[in-house]
Amino acid sequence: WILAWMGLEINTMAIIPLMAQQHHPRATEATTKYFLTQATAAAMILFASTMNAWTMGDWNINQISHPLATTTVTLALALKIGLAPMHFWLPEVLQGLNLTTGLVLSTWQKLAPFALILQISQNTNPALLTTLGVMSALVGGWGGLNQTQLRKLLAYSSIAHLGWMIIILQFMPALTLLNLTIYITMTSTMFLSLKIMTSTKINSLALAWPKTPTLTTLIMLSLLSLGGLPPLTGFMPKWLILQELAKQDLPITATIMAMSALLSLFFYLR
Amino acid sequence: MLKILIPTLMLIPTTWLTPKSWVWTTTTAQSLAIALLSLTWLKWTSETGWSTSGPYMATDPLSTPLLVLTCWLLPLMILASQNHISPEPINRQRSYITLLILLQTFLIMAFGATEIIMFYIMFEATLIPTLIIITRWGNQTERLNAGTYFLFYTLAGSLPLLVALLMTQKDMGTLSMLIIQHTKPTNLLSWGDKIWWVGCLLAFLVKMPLYGVHLWLPKAHVEAPIAGSMVLAAVLLKLGGYGMMRITIMLDPLTKELAYPFIILALWGIIMTGSICLRQTDLKSLIAYSSVSHMGLVAGGILIQTPWGFTGAIILMIAHGLVSSALFCLANTNYERTHSRTLLLTRGLQMILPLMATWWFIANLANLALPPLPNLMGELAIITSLFSWSPWTIVSTGLGTLITAGYSLYMFLMTQRGPTPLHTISLHPSHTREHLLMAMHLIPVLLLVLKPELMWGVCH
Repeated sequence: WILAWMGLEINTMAIIPLMAQQHHPRATEATTKYFLTQATAAAMILFASTMNAWTMGDWNINQISHPLATTTVTLALALKIGLAPMHFWLPEVLQGLNLTTGLVLSTWQKLAPFALILQISQNTNPALLTTLGVMSALVGGWGGLNQTQLRKLLAYSSIAHLGWMIIILQFMPALTLLNLTIYITMTSTMFLSLKIMTSTKINSLALAWPKTPTLTTLIMLSLLSLGGLPPLTGFMPKWLILQELAKQDLPITATIMAMSALLSLFFYLR
Repeated sequence: MLKILIPTLMLIPTTWLTPKSWVWTTTTAQSLAIALLSLTWLKWTSETGWSTSGPYMATDPLSTPLLVLTCWLLPLMILASQNHISPEPINRQRSYITLLILLQTFLIMAFGATEIIMFYIMFEATLIPTLIIITRWGNQTERLNAGTYFLFYTLAGSLPLLVALLMTQKDMGTLSMLIIQHTKPTNLLSWGDKIWWVGCLLAFLVKMPLYGVHLWLPKAHVEAPIAGSMVLAAVLLKLGGYGMMRITIMLDPLTKELAYPFIILALWGIIMTGSICLRQTDLKSLIAYSSVSHMGLVAGGILIQTPWGFTGAIILMIAHGLVSSALFCLANTNYERTHSRTLLLTRGLQMILPLMATWWFIANLANLALPPLPNLMGELAIITSLFSWSPWTIVSTGLGTLITAGYSLYMFLMTQRGPTPLHTISLHPSHTREHLLMAMHLIPVLLLVLKPELMWGVCH
């Protein structure tokens, strides 16, 4: 765990200067917020792993078994990636960054914590994971409804997708990985296309038609895919996740997740 | 099945590679050829009822009429769109046709699907091209709102369907229609099972649409361009009916009691929407509400689950598809000339466009279910089976028939008879294309009088 913690800390340290590149006060503010949240999370991870080592005598990542320790470490990792109810930093931080750094934040930064999450998936509290997942999907949907700034919109979309990923973790971690991969692909597409069009608000997207019709079509398809409409690829993880949930006799959870996908779809559609 | 799917997909390169002046001609011709090919599906030879099967697709007497209707409509849609799209740049025209073709492909795959999950995916997939057609090529600013209504009503209904289907797959091990028709009825007693039943059916009821959840339909129809309206009225609504018919095989023991509220909504809806039609000023809205009314009859016929009910439902679906699409084309001819849908502005057309008046006459007669047209066959079968289910339904179905006759005649008289207002005298005469369009809609309706077995093969 010590090495994991060190890796996460170095990751945070490395990205701080990247984020602070723009000498805009909002960028600095975003950097500070990010640093604080990530440092808190890292400290919690250290604390939880130490607690586990003290009570169980084990530093191995897979073997974290003390219930308090697993809960703490799950919450800390959730804070790192931005799951509800620890999501409040994500929209503002993402808004303060330019699009490329935002891309890195949304995709690459999720990989490390997810690697840890996948490894501890057997021992975690199922109720906690389900709560985190459902809450994230709902918050991601509701929160994005009133947004006009594209980066905040993508932040809420990220929260919702992470919710989907977490909820299936307890049943089939392979699906979490699949969802993560597809999400990274789609979000990268979105960020890169937005960067090409240098637009940061919904209004500026509306003017995109005359400039690059091909790109606009691509953006539209990619947005619909993020929303999870068949027959686009974005539907596949949602479908498989719902199937697993149904197999595990959790139809209510499945329905709640599905309905919250509708919320996200609404703001994609605008 | 592939014989039809691959030429349809090949239409997409056709639209993009043909030179500008030949695009419309070639696409119409090719889609017409595909439609004629699809008529070969009408020969059912197998005993189990399913023929022309591939690994995931097959046709049976229930899906074949709808498939032929879909294939037949594509050339008609392309014909109808030719005029209002011509001012646009050629690439936009090509993308419009491509969207229609994509929609067609998804529809063929939906009607031909044997796995219910494939049907579900195609069902959802048809939403995307329709949404793009409505929002991008619609005529007024409300079209964005209409598109949103359309998408969200349908999706809100169909996501529970997805969960319900997945649960079914877990319990039964398969979702293939071929197998499900032979499984023994499941014991469904608890509240959870009742919610599962509603989940299965809700998506199709919203799509049909049932009276309580029908608000998306008038909006979508009024805002959509002509091809969008045609395909919506003719085929997409039938997707809902078809899905219901397939799904009720699984749902049996519960349906007797649980269907009551929906049957009541359907019957009440017939009367209510019919009455709304009598007071409409917007022509397209009138036809849209008439669609809801007819579909209410279809829903009632399906939900009581008798052979005659199903037969009536499928006949009415086909006949209504053709006639409704014809009426939308007629409304569009008016719209293209006056750019207004208000009934008051397009009165007295019989004096200036007499041949079109013939088509108006026939289409309206078909709408009000004149014998011996298939509309009447369908309505009569449904009304009879509803009567045998409960004698009280005759009140609403009879009233409904009366009101349907009322507004159909109203539509005819308002647009054709009466003094011709002076501002309409300078309207363009009817194009041959429009006459061809109307003929191709209404001649199948007349021909089906002679051989209705093509439509009701499923129960006889």
